[in-house]
Amino acid sequence: MPRAAHTVTTILLVGLLAATISHGGAGSGHESETAIASAPDQASSAQLKNLRVRYHSLSARLSKLKPSQPYILVDTARNHLYIKRQENVVLDALASTGSGTILDKPGENNDQWIFDTPRGEFRVQSKLTNPSWVKPDWAFIEEGLGVPQDPAERVEQGVLGDYALGFGKGYFIHGTLYTRLLGKNVTHGCIRLNDADLKTVYQSARIGTPIIIF
Amino acid sequence: MILCLTVLLILLLAPPSHTGTIGAFPDVNMNDQASLQEATRVLQEEVKLATRPHTYLLIDLVTHTIHIKGRGIDLHRIPIVDWSLTVPEAISGTHRVNTRPPITRRKIDPSASVEQEPISLADMPTGYTLSCTPPLTLTILSSPGDNPLQWIVTGWKALWLELREWAVAFSIDQAPTPNPSLRLEISTEQAQSLAWSVVDNMPLVVRRSTDKKK
Repeated sequence: MPRAAHTVTTILLVGLLAATISHGGAGSGHESETAIASAPDQASSAQLKNLRVRYHSLSARLSKLKPSQPYILVDTARNHLYIKRQENVVLDALASTGSGTILDKPGENNDQWIFDTPRGEFRVQSKLTNPSWVKPDWAFIEEGLGVPQDPAERVEQGVLGDYALGFGKGYFIHGTLYTRLLGKNVTHGCIRLNDADLKTVYQSARIGTPIIIF
Repeated sequence: MILCLTVLLILLLAPPSHTGTIGAFPDVNMNDQASLQEATRVLQEEVKLATRPHTYLLIDLVTHTIHIKGRGIDLHRIPIVDWSLTVPEAISGTHRVNTRPPITRRKIDPSASVEQEPISLADMPTGYTLSCTPPLTLTILSSPGDNPLQWIVTGWKALWLELREWAVAFSIDQAPTPNPSLRLEISTEQAQSLAWSVVDNMPLVVRRSTDKKK
């Protein structure tokens, strides 16, 4: 027999043996079980086996959906912001989140602003240093002031801290002058942190980092 | 060479082993078909929910825990003191909370000279009923020791809602459709925390107990 043919035959034989061992080591036990098991037992055992495979496959799929990179978690009820890497807490910071108060919009259509921090999953969309606050209409109205016509009159410096991370629809994670209010629901929807924690968040987060808020 | 191929063949032909992997529910009995079937059903729903950027509830009656989750991550856990479930067989798939518990929001008065208090966890209700689609009535009660009066009132409200459903069904001469109703008893603080975290249209999945004793 030529050497190549011998090799192929050996591989096939070993393969056959392996198949017998893998299913049959099982195989012999399985068959002896079969000999004593009734048909419904057999069906139920097969069902159980299928269920186990499905269960593990779904568990693996769920596991893959969890963020593999660090993510920001915000607990608006207890006013805490965390940076987490899988199950590990990298940063636990006291924060201020939305006050839940309402303010009537001017006009006759009964519209209102609701100052809640939005819930769900967002992404860091922008990272700013030395951000300026472009005051929205509600900032003037809640103080009983008129809304300025000149956009330059809306800009305020130094109130948002050294950094700001935008996560869409005008919401930001930023600093605050009112650090005594950290831990309370006092904001118009943004998330406030002290300077040191804000710096850590700014340095840890990238554009696209998930922010999960509940 | 032959040895390498042999090892490769054995690896390829060996059946997948799950003995080393931990599934999503560490408590699941892998030899109990009913328990495994329920865990798999819940996982199937959760995998769908975890692909979307929202938070959802997983009410686990086996481990007595309400999980607030997002992307498959546990964001917050609430221990269940006691529970009861009627028509468990009618629970299937994902339910959605129609509206969050009622909250009395404070209105900002621009003419007021004093700063108005924001809402906080303490303003959240301690007992409430949530209606879901497909039909599921979720009654949240804080432990009677914490607030006995509230416990009685919410319990009566839930009973009243059930009676009203029956009355309506009888008035239109139709056999009442049995809708599932889940009563959860949790601590006062956790009831308020849950009220805070629930949002309109929030999805929820219930993992039923397959324990015959309950």
